[in-house]
Amino acid sequence: MSIQTLLMELVLMPLVAFVVGLFMVLMLRRIGAKLQRRVGPPMMQPLYDIVKLYGKKTQISHGWMHDIGIVMAVGGYVAAETLLPVPGMDGIADKGGLVTLVYVMMIPSLGLALGVGQCANPNGSIGIARALTAMLAYDVPFVIVVFGVAWYFGTTNLVDIIAIQQAGGVAGWGAIAMPLLAIAGLFALQGMLGKQPFEIYIAPAEIATGPMVEMSGKYLGGLFVMQCFQLYTAGVLYVSLFLGGGENWLFFLIKVFAVVAIPMTVAFLFPRYKTEQMIRLMWKWPVMIGLLGLAFVMH
Amino acid sequence: MLVLGRFSYAGKVATVFYGGQLLFLAKMADRIADGAIVTFSLQVELFGLQMSWRFDALSWFFAVITLGAGLLSSWYASGKWGERFRRRGGNLWLLHVALAANVFSMLILLGSGDLLALFIGWELVSWASFLLMTVAGGRAIQAAMRYITYAMSGAMAILAGIVLLWSHAGGLQYAQIIDVMPQLSQAQVWLLVALFGSGFAVKMGLLPLHLWQAAAYAETPGPGAAFFGAISARMGLYAIILVLVQLIGLARLSELTIPFTFLDMRDLWAWIAVLTIILPTYTALRQTDARYLLAWHGIGQGGYMLLGVVLGDALGSAGGLLHVFNYATNQAVLFFAVFAVMFRTGTADLNKLGGLITRMPISFFAMLVGIIGLAGLPPMNGFVSKWFVYRSLMIEGEPLLFLGAIIGTLGTILSVYKLIHNTFLGQLRVEHVEVREAPWSMVAPMIILMLLIFATGVAPGLVLDWVALVQSAVGLPVVENTLGGVELASGSLDMLWVVGVLFAGFGIGALLFYSGGRTRQVHQLDNYAGGHFLTAETRYHYSDNFYAGLMHLIRPWYRGSFVWLESTLGSLLGIAASLMQRLYGARHPSIYLLVTVVATLTWVLL
Repeated sequence: MSIQTLLMELVLMPLVAFVVGLFMVLMLRRIGAKLQRRVGPPMMQPLYDIVKLYGKKTQISHGWMHDIGIVMAVGGYVAAETLLPVPGMDGIADKGGLVTLVYVMMIPSLGLALGVGQCANPNGSIGIARALTAMLAYDVPFVIVVFGVAWYFGTTNLVDIIAIQQAGGVAGWGAIAMPLLAIAGLFALQGMLGKQPFEIYIAPAEIATGPMVEMSGKYLGGLFVMQCFQLYTAGVLYVSLFLGGGENWLFFLIKVFAVVAIPMTVAFLFPRYKTEQMIRLMWKWPVMIGLLGLAFVMH
Repeated sequence: MLVLGRFSYAGKVATVFYGGQLLFLAKMADRIADGAIVTFSLQVELFGLQMSWRFDALSWFFAVITLGAGLLSSWYASGKWGERFRRRGGNLWLLHVALAANVFSMLILLGSGDLLALFIGWELVSWASFLLMTVAGGRAIQAAMRYITYAMSGAMAILAGIVLLWSHAGGLQYAQIIDVMPQLSQAQVWLLVALFGSGFAVKMGLLPLHLWQAAAYAETPGPGAAFFGAISARMGLYAIILVLVQLIGLARLSELTIPFTFLDMRDLWAWIAVLTIILPTYTALRQTDARYLLAWHGIGQGGYMLLGVVLGDALGSAGGLLHVFNYATNQAVLFFAVFAVMFRTGTADLNKLGGLITRMPISFFAMLVGIIGLAGLPPMNGFVSKWFVYRSLMIEGEPLLFLGAIIGTLGTILSVYKLIHNTFLGQLRVEHVEVREAPWSMVAPMIILMLLIFATGVAPGLVLDWVALVQSAVGLPVVENTLGGVELASGSLDMLWVVGVLFAGFGIGALLFYSGGRTRQVHQLDNYAGGHFLTAETRYHYSDNFYAGLMHLIRPWYRGSFVWLESTLGSLLGIAASLMQRLYGARHPSIYLLVTVVATLTWVLL
């Protein structure tokens, strides 16, 4: 691959991720509206929201770490997208692999945590403490899933993982070979996206949206952009691990949207769990299912 | 140092001195790189046993880290920190002497060419550490006494192992021992591993022999704690590598099965390593004193190194060895930052700090770089070494060990965020409004370490070259690295690209952010919470019981099984320790120290 193509891919991949992410946010709102028998927002609403937030007059900064936190939150995901292969573009996926991707995905959380920390708002700090605890909860089943997939395909290179699955057709998909791990992965996905019942760290009625409490204007806009990336990243990662990645853009997008629709639909059916309830649930069912799946895969 | 230490420029002289030694090692590097073993002419005969000292790649690698840690620690102590320490009644002379004694004794240990020399070096290191631990007085003395009883019982075990080997091999040269090893029965090797292993595990702070370490390191004054944290416990790892990997061999360990289980000796070591990662890390999470928090993490991070080495493949052992270097840089910079905060505010209590980011921005940044490294996130060097260990576990097919290692990492992330949040973020206390950045003599070592952490994170190949030499010296499979990491058919790592893209991402993030509307900066004390305007006098910094939800869940486990486990082991060790204490505690410890040092020096010199 020539360096020009690579650079082009590195620019295109985050851009595509952002656009797809915008539509995912739209889908999230539309699903919510359908379930609550509302009309829902128009198609361009997520974009309008971001433009509006970035253009606000009141933008309160609590210091340079607050600013850099937002930069890291968005920038970390921009980088993560280049590690995530999509149809026709591999970016630098072969130079990092699955483990690196998992860790690069923690950079935005760290940036956000540092930014919120400087706001000196106890609600924000409580939110971050809960969010990090939640990460501890859902990452345990998640790494079991990652290990199982890497073991089954014998590689951590996402490009190869996708190629192996596509070579076997639908029967070669990770979800067919490792159904239990795929289920455990769905649990982890729900937690990772912070959707109900696992949204204790936002808890608007209790800690006033936690990490977002001091975020005004473009700070909130940055988090909005981050959410677009987050939905996209989680969806694409799941598709790459279990649903054979994308043969072409059409199938790819159908799969990714279908995967992301699951946590969104589930979200509206559940109340909110307490932090310790979430840990207990995450460390019990998905871990058990995951370990069982792992045992099947390895023997 | 004994003479010069009294003068105010002692710290600077010591720094230059360590610098000189480092240069000497750098000179030696070419010869080490050729695979040569640098022998010193020093050869002593004792009871008909030949003692010799030499440096191979393994010794060289640890010696570089030791001297680097000594250099930066004495630099840190040489300026305002030392002046303050002396003004407050501290014995700066003793601190410098103890630090020099530590560095010197570690070099002797690292240079040992046979088991007898190793044992003498081991004892010297133990007593030198004890000396440095006692400098602060008060609680530190208690912690140091605890350490020395542990260390002595460990030394007894090692001595027993040495005697056992001597009776079979008829000598203590490494070559003789390697020759005699195949003739030993399984039971004898079992005993050997148990004796040497438990002895070395004390220094390394491996479970269940770790209980002395946190207090002993944390109570040591500033530069001493940083030095201890960075390298001291790794002497245990050096000895473990030397005896278990080089002399006995990992393959032999796999042959030793443990009755009534599916495990063999090597699995047992791997599990000890993983438990050493998990339990101390979550103990660290509960600490409210920054120094203790770091010291507990020090124990936990040792587990990654041992795990990597015990895995024994090219990737895993490279990760373990690389982590020795990476962790040393991270821990040193973290201790420096914590003691810089302590220097200015007088406390390391995580419930009495907060909001110092605007007052001490460089220290904040140093801590930030340190915690990213310690938690093992890109782009810092800690990520690379942990990545190697993870990948090795994935290739070897060890899901539970892998899970344990990751759980440890996640706990570390939680814990270090609490550290930086409670110290530098959140509400600034009124009494800290006047606080300034630490003086340059303290900031400069931090900056050097930050650069080192970042540079070796972007280009891990720089250190991996040394690691490869170490691997070939001790007979492990050698990792074939690139400048940016490693190339494998089953998934590579190239940090040059990863970090490059990460910073490009940050660039795009910054572009987006700064193209938005203008921000208005509010004063740090201008805050409100839940609609109530708060004055600076109201304390609302969320710091105590930071992870309430998690603690709610795991505290009962601690109360139940962990406490039970620790108390059982503790009382078992307590019995052993009290026996030892009766032996050693009869007289004033410093007299003993003096006698031992004089005796060993005459021994060595004659």
